Amino acid sequence: MRIGSTILLLDGYCYQSYQWNKLRPLGKLQSVIDSLEEYECDEISIIRPIRNNDTDKSFFKDIDTIASLKCLTPISFGGGLREKKHLEQLHQLPIERLVFSSAFIQKDLELLKYAKDLFGNQAIQALLPFKIEDNIPYIFSSSINSYIKFSNKDLNFINKYANEIILYDTSNEGTLDNYNKDIFKYINIINDKIIISGSIGKNTIKTAKKLSIASILIENRVLHKEYSMKDYKNA
Amino acid sequence: MLIEIIDIGVGNVHSIENLIHKLNIPTKIISTPQEIKSDFLILPGVGSAKLYMHKLQNSGFDKAIKKHLKENKKLLGICLGFQVLGKYSDEDGGVQGLGVIDGYTKRLDNNLSNNTWQEFNLKKENLLIENFIPNLKLTKKQGIRGRVFYNHEYGFICKDTNCFTKPISINLNKYSSIVIKGNIIGMQFHPEKSQQTGIDLMSLIL
Repeated sequence: MRIGSTILLLDGYCYQSYQWNKLRPLGKLQSVIDSLEEYECDEISIIRPIRNNDTDKSFFKDIDTIASLKCLTPISFGGGLREKKHLEQLHQLPIERLVFSSAFIQKDLELLKYAKDLFGNQAIQALLPFKIEDNIPYIFSSSINSYIKFSNKDLNFINKYANEIILYDTSNEGTLDNYNKDIFKYINIINDKIIISGSIGKNTIKTAKKLSIASILIENRVLHKEYSMKDYKNA
Repeated sequence: MLIEIIDIGVGNVHSIENLIHKLNIPTKIISTPQEIKSDFLILPGVGSAKLYMHKLQNSGFDKAIKKHLKENKKLLGICLGFQVLGKYSDEDGGVQGLGVIDGYTKRLDNNLSNNTWQEFNLKKENLLIENFIPNLKLTKKQGIRGRVFYNHEYGFICKDTNCFTKPISINLNKYSSIVIKGNIIGMQFHPEKSQQTGIDLMSLIL
């Protein structure tokens, strides 16, 4: 199982997010990447925490930030990849994989096929930010800035076109070790396609290892304690 | 020595450039065959095989690479840039490759996707046997051991019995992790995203 980290990037700076609505600045992307690389982080997922108010100016500013990165660790990138013109800006970036959320929720097959041509099928990841309330799973749709009910019918499309699927717990994000494992009861995906993120701690890692999940992505707090990545790897 | 990195509009050429710069070796990104001046070319690759080969042919790099190899100059193919060195690939309904290594590319068994880090080691003598490097310098490192990063759904099956090759893993033992054949090296993994092992490996090769 891979052990990586999620980094939130907005307007050129990194943030830690709490329960999907509070952002705390963490500094420059290169500094964060350097630290994670030193800890032998297996992969880094750079996500722009945008909603329905994204602008080209903000998108291209973040693209410029990523383009200047010096990095020897696998990187996936997403948040605002909604049009072909966005994908065309990515080939010079030090990224291997693309993270789509709205494209999967809205079943934008044309965009996903274009991404597959440019980056390969192995590069396509789906991000499903979720919460569970009253035993009902909801997925956050950033293009409309609200949660929608999720059914397994939607999963057929996602399963077909996504190489891996990130299940991101928005309710518990930023807390210590509270990842809501009930999501596995509601979302029927083979475990070796699943990546989990949002409130990852050692207990969650032990569960993930038992379930043979593909990867876990710890939020930015992995930076708070030196060698914490090593601790997580030995969990 | 100058390393030239081929840019056909797909793939992360700057990651490769960043890796080579760690070794203090100058690089140049080239986007036309007329720019080839170096004795060492790198062919990085991601994307779909069909589009990639189309771009190689349209740009004239397919012929330029073969000419480069005939002149006994060196080539390193990475990931899809390695797979297209074979005779053909099953991807996208079948795509003809450059055919400079006897082998072909097929979908990984059980529709597997190999997105992992795997242990990897290589001895300098493996490069020497294939004449990729001219001699052993006893003052330099004689081998590397570490871990490398894979991200692929198709794998290269080497049919050449007269080259050096290593399997990806026990489970993927019919697919090549690396092939060294004379002046050609192909790598299925991404040295540019394999942290310190990537640096050590390139240091051994260059």
